[in-house]
Amino acid sequence: MSSLIDDPRVIEFDVRTDEMLVNMGPQHPSTHGVLRLALRTDGEIISEVTPHMGYLHRCAEKIGENLTPRQWIPYTDRMDYLAAMNMNLGWALTTEKLLKYEPPEKARHLRVIICELGRIASHLVGMGTYGIDLGSFSPFLYAFREREKILDLFEEACGARLTYSYITPGGATADLPVGWTQKCLEFLDQFEPVIAEYHTLLTTNAIFIKRTANIGVMSPEMAIDFGTSGPVLRGSGISHDLRRDGEEIYTAMYDGYAFEVIAQQNGHYPKDHNYPPVPKEAVLGDCWHRFYVRMLEVMQSIDLARQGIERYHAATDGYGEPLKLKTKLPKGEVYLETECPKGQMGFYLVSDGSDIPWRTRARSSSFSNLSVCEPLCRGCLIADIPAIIGSLDIVMGEIDR
Amino acid sequence: MAAFLSEYTWTWLAYIIAAMIHVGLIINLVAVAALVFIWLERKISGRIQDRLGPTRVGGKFGWLQTLADGLKLITKEDLCPDGADRFLFKIAPYVSFCAAIGAFIAIPFAGGAYPWIAQHLNTGVFFVLAVLGLEVFGVILAGYSSASKWSLFGAMREAAQVVSYEVPLGMCVVVPVMIAGSLDMVVIGDQQAGWFTNWLVFHDPFTFITAFVYFTCAMASVNRAPFDLAEAESELVAGFHTEYSGLRWSFFFMAEYGSMFSVSILASVLFFGGWNGPVPITDLLGLSGAEVGTLSWAVAQALGLANVLLKGLLGVCLMIWVRWTLPRLRIDQVMTTCLKYCTPIAAAMFLGATLWQYNFPGRAFFNLIPMSDAVLEVSEGWEVESNDPDEEEEQIARGPEETGGLL
Amino acid sequence: MDSIYWPSFFFWLFSGVACTFALGVLLSKNIVRMAFYLVISLASTSGLFFLAGADFVGAMQLMIYVGGTLVLLIFGVMLTSQDRFVEMRTSSGEWVIAFFIGLMLFFTLGRAAFGVAAWKGLDRETAEAVEVERTVTPLAMGLLGARVDQLDEPDAAKREGMSGYLFHFEIVSVHLLVVLIGAAYLARAKRKTGSVAANA
Repeated sequence: MSSLIDDPRVIEFDVRTDEMLVNMGPQHPSTHGVLRLALRTDGEIISEVTPHMGYLHRCAEKIGENLTPRQWIPYTDRMDYLAAMNMNLGWALTTEKLLKYEPPEKARHLRVIICELGRIASHLVGMGTYGIDLGSFSPFLYAFREREKILDLFEEACGARLTYSYITPGGATADLPVGWTQKCLEFLDQFEPVIAEYHTLLTTNAIFIKRTANIGVMSPEMAIDFGTSGPVLRGSGISHDLRRDGEEIYTAMYDGYAFEVIAQQNGHYPKDHNYPPVPKEAVLGDCWHRFYVRMLEVMQSIDLARQGIERYHAATDGYGEPLKLKTKLPKGEVYLETECPKGQMGFYLVSDGSDIPWRTRARSSSFSNLSVCEPLCRGCLIADIPAIIGSLDIVMGEIDR
Repeated sequence: MAAFLSEYTWTWLAYIIAAMIHVGLIINLVAVAALVFIWLERKISGRIQDRLGPTRVGGKFGWLQTLADGLKLITKEDLCPDGADRFLFKIAPYVSFCAAIGAFIAIPFAGGAYPWIAQHLNTGVFFVLAVLGLEVFGVILAGYSSASKWSLFGAMREAAQVVSYEVPLGMCVVVPVMIAGSLDMVVIGDQQAGWFTNWLVFHDPFTFITAFVYFTCAMASVNRAPFDLAEAESELVAGFHTEYSGLRWSFFFMAEYGSMFSVSILASVLFFGGWNGPVPITDLLGLSGAEVGTLSWAVAQALGLANVLLKGLLGVCLMIWVRWTLPRLRIDQVMTTCLKYCTPIAAAMFLGATLWQYNFPGRAFFNLIPMSDAVLEVSEGWEVESNDPDEEEEQIARGPEETGGLL
Repeated sequence: MDSIYWPSFFFWLFSGVACTFALGVLLSKNIVRMAFYLVISLASTSGLFFLAGADFVGAMQLMIYVGGTLVLLIFGVMLTSQDRFVEMRTSSGEWVIAFFIGLMLFFTLGRAAFGVAAWKGLDRETAEAVEVERTVTPLAMGLLGARVDQLDEPDAAKREGMSGYLFHFEIVSVHLLVVLIGAAYLARAKRKTGSVAANA
C-alpha cells in the first residue's frame, strides 16, 4: 500500500493522458476530520488513493503510561469524540477484565442504556454528514436536532455534552438523576417517527440511491481481509457483532437483551421492524448498504435502550462506584474489543503490577475501515470519493489517537 | 416611451431619457430582487432545516441582512491572484452580470396594447435565450483566470453542463411558442388572458409535462441544486469563483439570482399566464379596455406586473426548496439526465403538442373549452382557407398584417 | 449639432467596437485573450444586426456564434494551450504577407460596398422615414419554402422560380447532424483497458 507519490511538479498537464495528482484535505467541508487524501487521477477516474493521517495525533497511548486507568478515561473520550460513551465503556471493561471485577447489575443496565444512546448519537452524525457529502444539507440539521436531545440527556447525567468520562472502571461516576429515564423514554418515543423523515430524505431518495448504490462495492472477503468492522463489515453481509459474538465479559453486558444483528442474511435483513425496502440498484457491500445498516441499527438501539431502562428500574443494587484512584493493577495483559458505533474498538492494557499501566494501546476501528478506501476508490469517479469515505463513517480522533 | 417623451423635449434627448429609465428600472428590479432572494433563501433554507435564519439585522425578520452582507463584501480586499490574467480575471464577473441582466431587456412585465417591456422585440423569446446563454462566458473566464488547473476543469464542466441544457431548454420553449404562434412574448402572454384555463400549461397534456421539463432544465441551466456539482465537488478542491472576494464575487452571485429570476419569469410568461392572473380581475373590476395612459389602465397594468413578479418569486422559491431538499447529482448523471431524459422527453412533447394543436386548434384547457374570442383574435391570423398554393401564400402573408402586429 | 441621430451613433459605436476588437485579435499575443476579443467583436456585430432591424439574425448571431461557436473555441483554446499564457509570435514575413492579402480583400470589399447604388446618398430624412419591417415571419416562411416576401414580384415567371429555402435548410441540417456525430465519434474517450486495474 505504500506507493510513492511523485513530485507533483514533474507531472505534465496534458489533456489526453491526464494523470493528475490532486490533494483533498486536510480540511474538509464535513466533519470526518483532518484527513488528507492524495488522489492520482487518470482524467476523471481515480487510479490511486493514499490517505495521509496523523494530523490529529495527540500521543494518547503514551500518555496512558503515566496515568492510572481512571485518569486515562478522558483520553478515551477524545478518541471517537462522537461516541465518547462507547469509548469509555471499552476502556472501563478492559480494566475490569484485568481486575476480574464485575460491576453490579444496575450498573450493567445503565451502561447498556448509555451506550445505545451513544450509538444513536453517533449514527445520527454519520448520517447527517453523509448527506452533506452528497449535497443534501437539511438531514444534517434534522439529525443534529435529535442529537441535541441526546446530548442534553447526557449533560444531565454527567455534566458534559461531548467528552463525558462517565463510564469508568467500576461502573459509572454517578447514578442517573431522578426522572432521567422518564425523559429518555419520552425522547425515544418522540424519536422513532422522526426516523421516517431521514428515510424519505436519504435512504429511499432516488438521487441518493443513484449516488450510493453500486458504488464502492466491497466483497465479504475483502471486508475480512482488511479487518473492517461494524457497519462497514455488516454492510457486506457478514453477520458479526461483538455484542452477540464477542468476549464473555462484553456479551455478559447484553445478557438477556433481545436485539437483532443487522446484516443481510439469505438475501434479506431482519424483519422485526418496518424497515424501508432495499432498492434493486443496491448491491450488497456498496455504500447504500453500509448506510442502511446504520439506519437499522438505530432502531435496534432504541429497542435496547427501552429494555435497558426497564431492567435498570428493576435492578436494586448500586450504580457501581468507580474504583479507587490508586488501585493496584495485577500483573498481566488484557485485550478487549467492544462493538462501538464505528466498529470494533479494542483496548490493550499491559500492567507490571503498579497502579499505572506499563502500556496502553487503543485499536481503532476507523483505522482499519479507512484502509479499505484505497482498493474501493480505485476505478471510481472523483465525485464518488466523498460517497465512499462518508459511507465508512470514520472519525480522525480515533484513527490518530 | 421615447416617442412619448419626444413631445416634450428634443428627440435625441428623449431617447437617452427613455433608455435611462428602462435601464434604471431593470437594474433596480434585478438588484433588489437579488437582495430579496438571498434573504429569502436564507430564511427558507433555515425553516426547512428547522432553524430561523437571519433574525437580527433589520428587525425581527432580518430584512436588511443582505444589505449588511453587501456592505461587508464591498469593504473586503479586492484580490487578484498572482499568476492570473488580470484583465480577464476582472472582466469575468461583469460578463456574467451583464448577460443575466441583459435578458431582462426583452422580458415583458405587463402586456396589452402598450406592454411594459424595455424593448418590444418580435423575437423576444429567442433573444432572451440567446443572452442567457452568454452567461457561461463569465464562468469560463473566471475558471481560466483563477490560475489553477483544477478550477479550470471545474469551470469547464459547469460550462459544459449549462451549454448542454440549453438544448432541451430551447425545445421546451418552442412548445408554447408553437402553440401561440409567435416568438413575441407579449403575444404569448396576451393569448393567456382570462381565466386560468387559458394558461398554456393547461392547454394540452404535452404542454403540461413540458412545463416541468422546462423547469428542470432551467434549474440545470442556472447551476442550481441538484445540478450544482461543479460548485460542490469543487469545494473539496477549487471552484471557479474561489479566487474572487468581495464585490466581484457578489457580482457572480447576483448574476446567478438574476438568471434564476429571469428563467422563472420566462416560465410564468410562457406557461403560467404571465401578467394574467388565475381570475380575470381586470375584467371583473372593469379596468380592461381602458385607454392607454389613463389611471385605470395603469392600475390594470400594475396588477399584471404584480402577477408576473409574484409568479417569478414563486418559481425562485421552488428552486430554493428543491435545492435544500435533494442531494446532488454527479456530473455524469447530470449529463445523462440531459441527454437521455430531458432532450428526448422535450422532443416527444413537442411532437405531441404539434399534433394536438394541429387537430384541435383554438381550444383551451385540454380541449375542454373553446378559447375566448378576445384570445382567438390574437391567434386567428393563422387560419388559411384556400387550397391553392398562391392564395395560401397570400393569405399567410396578409394574415399577420391584418391582425396587426402578430409578429 | 442640435440633435444627435442615434442610429448613426450606434452604428459608429458597434462597428468601432467590432473593428477595434478584431484588431485586438490580430495584435494580441495571448491566445485566450484573442478568443475573448473575438467574442466581443462578434457580439458587436450582432448589435449591428439589431440596429438594422434584423432582430432574428441578431439573436441568431448571439446564440449561434457567440453562445455556441465561441464557447467551443474558448473550450478548445483553454484546454489545449500547453503553457497557461501561450505567446503567439508572428514573424515579420508573415505580417507582410498577411497585410497585403488583407489589403487586397479590403479593397475588394470597399469597392463592392461603395459600388452599390442603393446604399448611396441616403440623407437623414429618408433614413428616418424608413419603416422597420418585421421580418421574422417572411424569414421563417422562406425557410419552410414559401417566399412571402416576394409576393409583389411583378414578373410571374420569376415568382414561380422563387421556391424558398426548404431544400437548403434540410441539407444544412443534415450536414450539421453529420458533423455532430462525426465530432462525437472523433472525440470519444478511448479508454485504455487494464491500465487502471494494473496496480493491484
